[in-house]
Amino acid sequence: MNELALERKPSILRELMKNHATASKNVVFIGEGLPHPETIPFSEVSFTLKDGTKKVFTGSELVTAINYLPTQGNPKLVQKLREFMDRFHAPLRWEDRDVIATAGSQDGLSKVIEMSLQKGDAIVVADPVYSGLASNVRPYKAQLISAQYRKNGLDTVEMKDKLTAIWSSRSKDVKIPKILYINPVANNPSGHVISDEQKREIYEIACEFNLLVLEDDPYYFLGFQDELPKSFLSMDTENRVVRFDSFSKIFGGGLRAGWMTGPKEIVRIVEMHMQVSVLHASSLTQAIVLQILEEQGWDGFLDYTKNVKEFYRKRRDQMVALADKYLTGLAEWDVPEGGMFLWVKVKGVSDVLAMVMERGLKKDVMLIPGHAFMSDPTKPCPYIRLSYSLVPMEDVEKAMQRLAELIKEEQAIESQK
Amino acid sequence: MLSANKLIHCLTKNNYCKLTILRTFSAGSIDAMSQPIDYDRFINDLSARRKVSPIRELTKLFTTAPPGTIFLAGGIPNGSTFPFSRMTVELKDGTTFKLEGKKIENALQYQPTPGYPPLVEQLQKFQTQVHGLDSTFWQKNSLLVSTGSQDALCKALEMSLSEGDPILVQEPIYPGTSAIIRPLNANMVPIGQDEHGIVPSALRSALSNYGSSEKVSAMKKDVPKLLYLNSTGANPTGATIPTERKKEIYDIACEFNLVILEDDPYYFLHFEEKDPVSFLSMDRESRVLRFDSFSKILSSGLRVGFVTGPKELVSRIELHTQASTMHTSALSQAIVSSLLDEWGSEKLLQHFKMIQQFYKGKRDCMLASADKHLKGLAEWSVPRAGMFLWIKVPGIADTKKLITEGGIEHGVILVPGKDFLAYDDAQSQYFRASYTVASPEDIDKGFARLANLIKAEIA
Repeated sequence: MNELALERKPSILRELMKNHATASKNVVFIGEGLPHPETIPFSEVSFTLKDGTKKVFTGSELVTAINYLPTQGNPKLVQKLREFMDRFHAPLRWEDRDVIATAGSQDGLSKVIEMSLQKGDAIVVADPVYSGLASNVRPYKAQLISAQYRKNGLDTVEMKDKLTAIWSSRSKDVKIPKILYINPVANNPSGHVISDEQKREIYEIACEFNLLVLEDDPYYFLGFQDELPKSFLSMDTENRVVRFDSFSKIFGGGLRAGWMTGPKEIVRIVEMHMQVSVLHASSLTQAIVLQILEEQGWDGFLDYTKNVKEFYRKRRDQMVALADKYLTGLAEWDVPEGGMFLWVKVKGVSDVLAMVMERGLKKDVMLIPGHAFMSDPTKPCPYIRLSYSLVPMEDVEKAMQRLAELIKEEQAIESQK
Repeated sequence: MLSANKLIHCLTKNNYCKLTILRTFSAGSIDAMSQPIDYDRFINDLSARRKVSPIRELTKLFTTAPPGTIFLAGGIPNGSTFPFSRMTVELKDGTTFKLEGKKIENALQYQPTPGYPPLVEQLQKFQTQVHGLDSTFWQKNSLLVSTGSQDALCKALEMSLSEGDPILVQEPIYPGTSAIIRPLNANMVPIGQDEHGIVPSALRSALSNYGSSEKVSAMKKDVPKLLYLNSTGANPTGATIPTERKKEIYDIACEFNLVILEDDPYYFLHFEEKDPVSFLSMDRESRVLRFDSFSKILSSGLRVGFVTGPKELVSRIELHTQASTMHTSALSQAIVSSLLDEWGSEKLLQHFKMIQQFYKGKRDCMLASADKHLKGLAEWSVPRAGMFLWIKVPGIADTKKLITEGGIEHGVILVPGKDFLAYDDAQSQYFRASYTVASPEDIDKGFARLANLIKAEIA
C-alpha cells in the first residue's frame, strides 16, 4: 500500500451509521444527518423481467432500495455475494477475506490501483491489455512489464524471465513490481481464455515474486467452454488475489453493479476510499441484483448466463465466418474463446493508426486501433479490435468488405515506402 | 466590480495595494480587468497525465459520423441480453412513469461519462434557471453527473491537491471532506465561521500570511489555491452565507486567484422566502466548482449528484470518472430524468416547498426542546437552512470526552464538535444535533438526557 492508502482513516459519520445499526434501542441518536423518509417522493418502484417475473419494492424494502446504505453494501446482498463466491469459486475463509459492492467492478479496480501505486512503479500485465487498466496506471507513469498472449495462451516463460531479470538487476531505475493485472477469461481485447493449468503456473509465479494478483473477470460467465473456468481466487492459498466481478455484461452495464473480493485489509482500504467518494453503490441497483439472485437461485442464474453465453458464441461464429470470407490472406486472428471481441492482426501493414483513424473513417467504417491496448501505445501496432456484440451481421459483412479494401490499399501504400 | 469594502481595505492597508488598484482601474473596461484563468494552476501532475479513452472518443465521433457508417469500435454488451423489460415508478403524489422499450434499454446500457444525455440537458436548463446563468455560461463551463455530489468533490480535490499544498477550508468542516484531504497530505488552513458562515476578514488574513495577492495569485506551489465551503445550511453549523458576504468572499477569490469549491447539498433545504444566491450565479471569472446533490431532496440511495464549473476542471473530473465508476448509474439517472420530466418545474418547486416546510417544523421542534432543557447550559443560533443544530456548551472543555464517556450511560448520542475540526489536537465545546429524523419524543428525551449529562459534568 502506498502512503496515501496507509493514511486513510474511517469516515467518522459513516462509522457512526454502522454503530447506530448495532446499538441498544435505549440510546437516542440525534447525531446523524439523514433525510427524513417523508421528504422522499417515491412510494413504489417495480421491475418486470422478460420472463414475466415482477418485483415490487414498497414499504421497508423501498426504503432500503432508495436510501443511504453502509459503504460495504446492502447487508443482505453482501452476504449473498459471499455465498456466490463460495458456490462459483471455492468455499473461502471469510475471516481473512471479504466482499464489497462497488459502482461497477472498475471502480474497485481503480481504487486498488490508487491504493497501491506510486509514481514510476512497475506493474505486470498480459499484452494486449484492457485500456481501462491503462487509464488508471498511466497517470502514475507506471512501467508496464508485459508478457504476450500467444497461440497456446500467455507466455509464462516470458513473464518469469522478465521478473527474474528485474529482481536480479542492480539498477536503481528498475522498479520491482508488486502487482500483476490479468483479465483471464476472454481477455479484452484478444478474447483469450487462460487455461486452469496455466493459471496455476501464473499463480506460482505470483507467489515466487510476491505479487498481488488483480483478477479482473467481467466476462467470467461469457467464456465459450462448457465448464466454468477455475478462478485465481479459487486457488488462492496465500490470500494474494483481489478479484473483480461484474454484472455489467449479464444484467446491464448501466446499473453499475460490481463487487470486489479480497484480503480484508485491502477491502477495508477500498471501503474507506469509497466512504469519502461514492459513499456506496446505488441502493436500487443493489436491491434489484439481490432480488434477481434470490429469485433465480444458483441454478437459475447459471442457466440464465448460459443463454447470454450462447448469444455471444453465435455471433462470434458469424463474425469469424465473415472474417474467413473477407480477410483470409489479408489478416490473422485467433478465434475468440469468449467475450465480444475479435482481435485481428493486419498483414503487410506495420502500423494501422492512419489506416483506421483517417482512411477508415473516409470509408465509413469505425474500428479501434490496437495501440489503445498495448503496454507501449507509441510503438507501431498492426492490430485492430472489432466488436461483434451489437452491430447487425449484414452491417458487419459490409464492414468486413470495407476493411478488406482498406487493408489492400494500405498494403499497397506500405510496399511503396 | 471592486466592492466598496475591498477598496477601502486596500487603501488603508498600504500604498502597494493602492497602486495595484489604480493600475487595474486604468486597464480599461471590466472585461479587460479579468484575464482568463490559467487552469493548469489548479491541476496537479497526476491529474494532468490523465488521457482521454480512445474508445470513448471514437464513440463521441460516431454520433456525428455520416449515416451508413458502421461502428465496430464499441465495447458495449448487447442490450437484448439484459433481463429487464420494464421498470415502473410511483410517487406519493400519484405520478407514475414507466421505463420501457428504448428507455429501459438506455437505462441498462453504458452511458457517456458526463451523464445520461437527456438528464444532462435537463440539469443544464435547471442550473441556468435556478442560478440565473447567462447565455455565454455554457461556452466556458460544463456539467457532469456524478455518483453523489461527494464523488465529484473527492475527484476535484484529488485533481487539484498535491502533497504539502495548503487548502482553505471552513471550520468546523464536514468530516467527509477532511477525510478526503488528510490522506493527500494537504494542509487544511481553517477559516473560522460566525453564524453567517466564513468570515471574510479571517479569509483575507489567512491569505495574506502567504504574501500579497499579486504574489499568491501567480504561484502554483506552497500557496492556497482552493477554498472549500458549504453555502447553505453548512454542515455542522447550519450557517447560510448572505449574498453580500458571498460577494466579498468572491472578490477575495478573484484577488488571490482561488477556485471556490461550493459544496451545496442543502441548497433547497432553506427556511427563507427565496432561494439563496449562489457563488455560481456570481461567477463572472469562471472560478467556481459547484457541487449539487439530489440526496436530500429526491433520493440518497440512487447516488445522483452533479458538478458545474469551468470546462478545464470538469474535464479532469470526467477523465478520472471514466477510469473508475465510468458514469453514474444509468438507471438512477433515467429515473431522475423521467421524474423531472413528469413533474415539470411547478411540481418540483412544490416539492421543494414541502421539504422546506417539513424541515422547518422539525427544526422548530428541536429548538423548543433546546429552550426547554438546555437554556442556561448551552448556546445556539437558529439555523436558517439545513439539517443541523450546532450547540455550544460553554461549561465543557471537550464534548468528545463527555459523549464518549457519558453518552451511552445517559442514553444519548450526538456528534461531538471535535469530529468537525481540521486538526486532531484541538478540542471543541460543541455538539452537532440533527433534527431531521428523530421523533419529537426522542428529541425531547435526548435533550433532557443531554442536560443531565452536562449538569453531571459541571457539578
